[in-house]
Amino acid sequence: MTAKFAVKLGTLGTAFAMLVGMGACSGGSMSDSSNSSSDTYVIGSITTISGAAAAYGEAELKGFNLAISEINKAGGVNGKKLSLQNLDDKGDATEASNAFNRLSDNSSVIAVAGPTISSTTAAITPLADSAKLATIAPAATSDSIETGNYVFRACFKDSYQGEVAAKFAAENLKVKKVAVLYGTGDAYSSGTAQAFIKTAKAEGLDVVATENSSSADATEYSSQLQKIQASGAEFLYAPYYYSTAGPYIIPQARSLGFTGVIMGPDGYDGLQTSENPSAFNDVYYTTHYSPDDTSNSKVAAFIESYKKANNNNDPNTFAALGYDTIYMIKDALEKAGKDASRESVRDEIAKLNFSGVTGSFTLDKTGSPKKSVIVLKEEDGTPKYLTTVKA
Amino acid sequence: MLNNQLILFLSQIFNGLKIGSVYSLVALGYTMVYGIIRLINFAHGDFIMVGSYVLMLITPMLIASGVPAWVAVIPAIIVCVIVGVVVEKAAYKPVRKKGNSMTALITAIAMSLLLENGAQAVFGADYKTIPNILNLPAIKFGALRITGDTLLSIVLGIIIMIGLQLFIKYTRNGKAMRAVAEDKEAATLMGINVDSTITLTFAIGAALAGVASLMYCAAYPQVSPMMGAMLGLKAFVAAVLGGIGSIPGAMIGGIAIGIIESLTTAYIGTITGGIITSAFSDAIVFGILIIVLLVKPTGLMGKNLGEKV
Repeated sequence: MTAKFAVKLGTLGTAFAMLVGMGACSGGSMSDSSNSSSDTYVIGSITTISGAAAAYGEAELKGFNLAISEINKAGGVNGKKLSLQNLDDKGDATEASNAFNRLSDNSSVIAVAGPTISSTTAAITPLADSAKLATIAPAATSDSIETGNYVFRACFKDSYQGEVAAKFAAENLKVKKVAVLYGTGDAYSSGTAQAFIKTAKAEGLDVVATENSSSADATEYSSQLQKIQASGAEFLYAPYYYSTAGPYIIPQARSLGFTGVIMGPDGYDGLQTSENPSAFNDVYYTTHYSPDDTSNSKVAAFIESYKKANNNNDPNTFAALGYDTIYMIKDALEKAGKDASRESVRDEIAKLNFSGVTGSFTLDKTGSPKKSVIVLKEEDGTPKYLTTVKA
Repeated sequence: MLNNQLILFLSQIFNGLKIGSVYSLVALGYTMVYGIIRLINFAHGDFIMVGSYVLMLITPMLIASGVPAWVAVIPAIIVCVIVGVVVEKAAYKPVRKKGNSMTALITAIAMSLLLENGAQAVFGADYKTIPNILNLPAIKFGALRITGDTLLSIVLGIIIMIGLQLFIKYTRNGKAMRAVAEDKEAATLMGINVDSTITLTFAIGAALAGVASLMYCAAYPQVSPMMGAMLGLKAFVAAVLGGIGSIPGAMIGGIAIGIIESLTTAYIGTITGGIITSAFSDAIVFGILIIVLLVKPTGLMGKNLGEKV
């Protein structure tokens, strides 16, 4: 979901960042001495809590805080309490780098949770490797940020969603002829589509049509959809954002008479279906977490505890990923034991066998989880939990 | 009996008509203003964005109170006219007095950015959906179907085209416009109020943007602050292809661009054996424009000299 923001913020944020960046440096007296006492582990966090992606970062931060207060209530880790030092990166790569350097200069910071979006995560990746400070990004899904050194993530990566969608089409929906429509100018759209095509062929599916648009935010797809319709496809994989799939691709496909399944990635989160809910039946998408997922016993407890802490509001995907991120760090601290250091925490994160609200997983050697993926199905305009595709 | 390939081809033509009819309506506004004051009003696409936001705000209220949703086009036109006239009076007029055509062009780009960023400040950068405005039935010819919206856009385009031609040929205001287009100083000497004539031109151009916003939103029911930028650019290309300043040219240019776009998207991959994909359709549309202009620099319907509009 984050690639588009990277583009938007890249253009908006540059001038702004220069102003604020200078301010942040000059005001750089560190306020860490108070909480660096030996009975506390400081977890640094970098989130986007202002700017266009602020909604994502705010939800993550709520997830962080909830997990930390739960852990402290239960007695902490290795006899020590956890505390969070959060810095706002405003969705800007320069800000994120400054924030990361402040955290890594503070020797009491044992690990970092964040940043929020892919572009800021990509910016701090080399810094994390050279500072040898382990960082877990909750929701940065871009394929390009993995190093396998000090940066990990709690979410699956973009290409993995494409693989899961192909498996789901072959094994659950049992379709034979599939078509793909994607935007060549968008890394998220083309990355997931290529992964889908590769896996679909390996699964023995017949890819009868591969159509594309130049960008992921064009408005007219009828020409491509007409060819897909003529190819006899029963299933269309269209990895776009909700802002394109909702008003354009799905209604245009339906009005041309395409009645097959349309499937997308987590960018479909937020589809506005109110105008024509019936057009969205047989629309599926892959995502990280669903509050209706009864197969995972941790989900109900998380929702209850989150609602209690947040005025009865429901947690979203980002809050769930943020919550899991802190528990990943906690598990690693526990394994590293009393004399946990930045390096030993990194090694334990790499070896984690984690089980949380967004699934159970281990991290591969590039730092990305091989985890279960939730498939949601639109029913009369609301997404319903359908199944969990195991890793 | 039509075979499948032919049906597919005709459907692609209809797809082209769908977007082309919207380009035509937008191109009419460009060509109208250009024909009179030789200004490429780059903010025209953003007038459509303004009209679309008005539709987004008003339509739910109308639907709730039982009034047909298309009535929202009236406030959309009114707001577009107000914005158009304010932009003309506040920005274009002072520049026209002092500067040359280049300063006017830069001012138009500045107004375009101002409207886009203004809308972003007021409404946020997020996409917003618009309720169904027109629920017109589609017309079917066997396996072929053409949506009611497309037909209405074409019909509206033709009515506006004829109406504008009659207005400019036969009314006093229309004659004044042609006189201003011909020679501003001479028109002033003949007792024509040049400023109010130009303001009227902008008001009509902006009203056309209001109508275009209705048809655009009926076909593509989503608004965002940047929606006018690419739409305006394509429609500008359509106006140039048709011969900028020529009212029938705008109509033909818009439909031509729409059909070229649709056919290249559909067939370029097959023709080139997959080397050039449909992702290149925009590049091909602009490439065709360059070729047409090399062969016929005044566009399809443009005249070389003499009478404008």
